[in-house]
Amino acid sequence: MGSNSLTLAPAPRSAAAEEVRAEVRAFLAEELAAGSFTTSVDTWLSGVDPAFSRKLGERGWLGMTWPKEYGGHERTAMERYAVTEELLAAGAPVAAHWIADRQSGPNLLRYGTEAHRTEILPRIAAGECFFVIGMSEPDSGSDLASIRTRATRDGDGDWVVNGAKVWTSNAHTSHYAITLVRTSPADPASRHAGMSQLLVDLSLPGITVNPIRILDGGHHFNEVVFDDVVVPGDMLLGEEGNGWHQVTAELAFERSGPERFLSTYPLVAEFARRVAAAPDPAGLAALGRLSARLLALRQMSLRIAGALDRGELPDIPAALVKDVGTTFEADVIDEVRRAVDVVASLDSPDPLGRALAEAQLHAPGYTLRGGTNEILRGIVARGLGLR
Amino acid sequence: MSDQDLVVETVRDILTSFEPFVLTRDRPWDAGLWAALAEAGLTGVGLPEEAGGSGGDLADAVAIVATLARGAAAVPVAEQLLVAAPAVLAADLDLPAPDQPLTIAVDGAVSAEPRDDGDGPGSWTLTGTATDVAWAGVARHLVVLATSPVGPVLALVDVTGRETTHAANLAGEPRGSLVFDGVTCAGALLTDRQATELRARYALARAVQLSAALEQVLAWTVQYAGERVQFGRPLGRFQAIQMELAEMAGEVTAVAALVDAAVQATERGESLVPAAAAAKVRAGAAVEVVARLAHQVHGAIGFTQEHKLHHLTRRCWSWRDEAGTELAWSRVLGERLLADGPDALWPALTRVV
Repeated sequence: MGSNSLTLAPAPRSAAAEEVRAEVRAFLAEELAAGSFTTSVDTWLSGVDPAFSRKLGERGWLGMTWPKEYGGHERTAMERYAVTEELLAAGAPVAAHWIADRQSGPNLLRYGTEAHRTEILPRIAAGECFFVIGMSEPDSGSDLASIRTRATRDGDGDWVVNGAKVWTSNAHTSHYAITLVRTSPADPASRHAGMSQLLVDLSLPGITVNPIRILDGGHHFNEVVFDDVVVPGDMLLGEEGNGWHQVTAELAFERSGPERFLSTYPLVAEFARRVAAAPDPAGLAALGRLSARLLALRQMSLRIAGALDRGELPDIPAALVKDVGTTFEADVIDEVRRAVDVVASLDSPDPLGRALAEAQLHAPGYTLRGGTNEILRGIVARGLGLR
Repeated sequence: MSDQDLVVETVRDILTSFEPFVLTRDRPWDAGLWAALAEAGLTGVGLPEEAGGSGGDLADAVAIVATLARGAAAVPVAEQLLVAAPAVLAADLDLPAPDQPLTIAVDGAVSAEPRDDGDGPGSWTLTGTATDVAWAGVARHLVVLATSPVGPVLALVDVTGRETTHAANLAGEPRGSLVFDGVTCAGALLTDRQATELRARYALARAVQLSAALEQVLAWTVQYAGERVQFGRPLGRFQAIQMELAEMAGEVTAVAALVDAAVQATERGESLVPAAAAAKVRAGAAVEVVARLAHQVHGAIGFTQEHKLHHLTRRCWSWRDEAGTELAWSRVLGERLLADGPDALWPALTRVV
């Protein structure tokens, strides 16, 4: 089946994945027991802990699928899938490295120069180098092709960047932004032309990072302003003018993983504890319904991991996982509320009340980040042959 | 072409001569289609040749059931190939000839009294009423899950000519009751676990049918949206309609992924109950979205018996309730997932399929 087909072949069983799953599970149990982290909801956005990321790097759980010459471990997407879903299910603090490991590294592998790969990839795999996504802008959300951040060549062949990016999660704790910029003026006849990706060191002069607080008061989002920032000419990623194509490929990596249905899993786990303490038919049924949806999503996502291992780039099935998965993440909240008496509060003495509050205050983001569900459904409609 | 593709191709070829029709009390099934399938040996696939079957494995039988479900075929093939016949064989009972329809009854109150030592396959006396029997009045033989003083019993009854009450599901498929007043039959004692697994297999069979039918409903709806022109363009060009079709696609894909995985888990001989429960719950939940949006996109014509859509949507609305409701299987799944304790949900989830 081609990569544009909605249905993919079932994922193969992977003994290696089950082996590494057991290792990660044992590691997480130790870390929890040692108090190195506390479980919370949506930790791939909010759980920044560079020390924890380094521990994962030491164990070979970052850059897992990359070539060994770049610090990777040449393991399968199925093994990486097992590691990432175990970390998410435990609500571990994985936000620091998440973007670099998930999409920036693969993007560098695909489009970076040899120097980019040898200098940066080993640091990502070690859990020491973190990335942000420089796509959205104040006036460009879903309509990504309308970006205005501009890069022009100066006399030395360097790029001079002006503009602003927003919703750049954890720019204040990260090292690089893969930044989508206009390198040619917008052409109304060819909206997707004239864009390029630059590898921007966030410590460069002229970059200002301004915090944007989300609903629970947390600082994850930022506005990153570029004011005559001089980016060395060799930091162009891929080809000049090929930015749209590259960004589209990057988004496919971004859309299919277990973080698209497990962001609120710690709430499900807390709910299960409540049901187990006083099993009643309504609670058991709600747990069963949620679990059936989660299990289906797991299989969808695993199929994509299997397709990646076959060298496919299944962008349309990936859009489907994200649409169905993020809808589920938010639905968990009300399924729980209908089944048990609980009041959502960040200050609740009840862990279920706290998890519910965290999940609720983060909920609007689930179906927005990485492409709104409306955009995703447009992609799926294209896969159905409707556009 | 694999053996399985060949089998599916054969079923499709046969189906071209048998359009679905509105089932009525006088014409409650497609006897002609059954005869054609039986003649081609397709009503014995997945059953060993030495037991009178046609050979092949579970995946082949599943492929046949899925293909027939897509075609809204009014024949008891899912019951026979996926549930009743494997249960008969597992219980070491003599399998009736596969060209005679065999079905299963798991509901109602039927008790079995041993006529011999009651240990292993033997002779039993059945008393009570089996309700909601799929293809009651159509099937020649019936597997009954009965209770006895010594545990659950799998009984095999020849019901040829036996009176049934008339009842049908939302698609008109026969779902009547049969009364047994001291009927002698063959049977075998089951463990509680085997009895539960039999119910789970029935649920999985309905999930397989639902998955296939929902996929077909999506395909019909996409096709209709491409053909039906309003305001000067096909419906499928409107964003509002595209959003609905994409939502349907998400549900259909989710169901297929889980049902396929549950079937594979069954083939590997893993614990059937949680996998089947999850598959049935997920497939049943998708019906609400997929059938609702399919009818919405089809407009008024889809709400009539003149259009084919109802053959599948009515079946889906019933199949989700049958072989254990979503609610019942949700509870079972919830219980199973908590079996290892309040903190072990995640390990339990990763073991299901």
